[in-house]
Amino acid sequence: MIKRRKSLWQRLKENSVAQTLSTILLPISFGVLILVFWQTQVLHKIFNTDTNTLPLPSRICRIIIDNHSAILVNALYTIIVAVVGLVIGSIIGYLIAVFAALFQKWGAGGLTIVGAFNAIPIVALAPVMTNWTKDVSNDPNIRSMVAKILVVMIVCIASMSINAFRGLTELKPFTLDLMSSYAASKKTVFLKLRLPNSIPYVFTAFRVSVPISIISAVVSEYFAEYIVGVGREIRENIVLGQYPTAWAYIVVACLIGLLMYGVLVAIESIVLKSRRVK
Amino acid sequence: MMKKLNKIRQSKILVTLVWIAGIIVIWEIFAFIVEATKRTPENILPHIWQIIFSFFDPKPVANGMSCTAVVFVNAGQTLSRAGQGFLIGTLIGFVLAILMKLSRIVEKIAAPYLMLIQLIPILGMAPIILAMTHDIGSSRIIIAAILTFYPVATNTLAGLNSVEKAKYELMYSYSASKSTIYLKMLIPSCIPYFFTGLKIAAPMAITASILVDTLQGDGGLGCMLSQSLKHAMSIYVFWDIVVFSAVIGVLSCSLMGWIENIVSPIKRIERKTKKKGAA
Repeated sequence: MIKRRKSLWQRLKENSVAQTLSTILLPISFGVLILVFWQTQVLHKIFNTDTNTLPLPSRICRIIIDNHSAILVNALYTIIVAVVGLVIGSIIGYLIAVFAALFQKWGAGGLTIVGAFNAIPIVALAPVMTNWTKDVSNDPNIRSMVAKILVVMIVCIASMSINAFRGLTELKPFTLDLMSSYAASKKTVFLKLRLPNSIPYVFTAFRVSVPISIISAVVSEYFAEYIVGVGREIRENIVLGQYPTAWAYIVVACLIGLLMYGVLVAIESIVLKSRRVK
Repeated sequence: MMKKLNKIRQSKILVTLVWIAGIIVIWEIFAFIVEATKRTPENILPHIWQIIFSFFDPKPVANGMSCTAVVFVNAGQTLSRAGQGFLIGTLIGFVLAILMKLSRIVEKIAAPYLMLIQLIPILGMAPIILAMTHDIGSSRIIIAAILTFYPVATNTLAGLNSVEKAKYELMYSYSASKSTIYLKMLIPSCIPYFFTGLKIAAPMAITASILVDTLQGDGGLGCMLSQSLKHAMSIYVFWDIVVFSAVIGVLSCSLMGWIENIVSPIKRIERKTKKKGAA
């Protein structure tokens, strides 16, 4: 049998080290390339803009460093709104899913309604919530915080309840039969079978709702009464024509998104790993 | 007769209807409380019938147009741009998914960025894109397209990657060319996933389009929404738009479901087997 020498390309394709290296290096080099184009104003030529509307990365960095105290305060408000809304919304969503799993005939129908809420544009919700929370407090800051949290909450309820419901009901085949052969009570079935089965689905829901919670926090800040938060700063600075500052806040918003997603992935790996060891 | 009644009682539609009725009742209870305690109840929670009446009320509210006319004229503007952006985004997303399947290098470059772009609040970037394009129409289209392309791309790619190995082996045994593999096997089997992406993207494109409207006074649903909130016209215009956009959001999602039923080869086969089973 003649053994032909494989081409360099073929050998690279089969080498696992080269593959992992390229998985890391290719996207990074692509990002660096874009940044270089941005800094050298090639991007400005392509999009036909000036350095004011699309400021250079170095300028954005400088603005973030110079104004870090103000940016931190605004970022904190947005994070509080996103996290509190996410947590409350997810808890309510999970409770709805539990309720629906216990009374499946009525629950499934209720979930179709919750799913329909998913399709309601956030923009429509935000002003309604601002109207509803007029009497919550005399302090406009607290008032608008509550309104913003409500918007995030509603958006998170839908994805959590639908995913958790699937986790509570789509059991592995024969597990329910096994439980009934043990003469397990409904409570035991729920605690030992349904609840653990739903946990991976809960994380699927979080993967969807973490980015959405930040987006809806940012958007609801546009309509809120009290001027605070990353989203509002983006808008206020655009109105004033200070595009570089607005860009700095956009970068901050992206960083918040990355941060929260990173925290989620870390929690997920810890929780799911300890489950696997058991 | 009894059988029919039982069938209705068993059906899922009844359950959904009961839930809707429950929500309406709760809404009305709160509306009555608000009406009794607040000075301007229509700003907080009007009765459902008031919203419906305002929709059919011929009284002009702005520019000599009635509520309905205002909503529909502006909805036309908003939805046409959302639709254009949606189509462009779908096309880009689908092509990107195919490219990622075709070339490992493209996949490696694009995969982390597809994940990252989800974390960027694109809606927050709306004002910047408006400043870059200087035109509200095209910025609406661009944002709707960006929001559409990544759910479509990620879902389609998941569909392309979900094809079982046995099918590849079958294709290999036919000595099928690459284009045949794509046209006859990969693309048809990714269609359900593709439509899942479209169902996620459609309400998002509409939301984006409405949000961009609020930034500039050029017309469109969002623009009317903010004007009505500032009491430049009847506050019922605001409620009409809220209800209308919610309905449109839900409809856009089910519209994708209907299109899937017509287009998707898998659904067509399902229907055929059902017919045969019935006959």
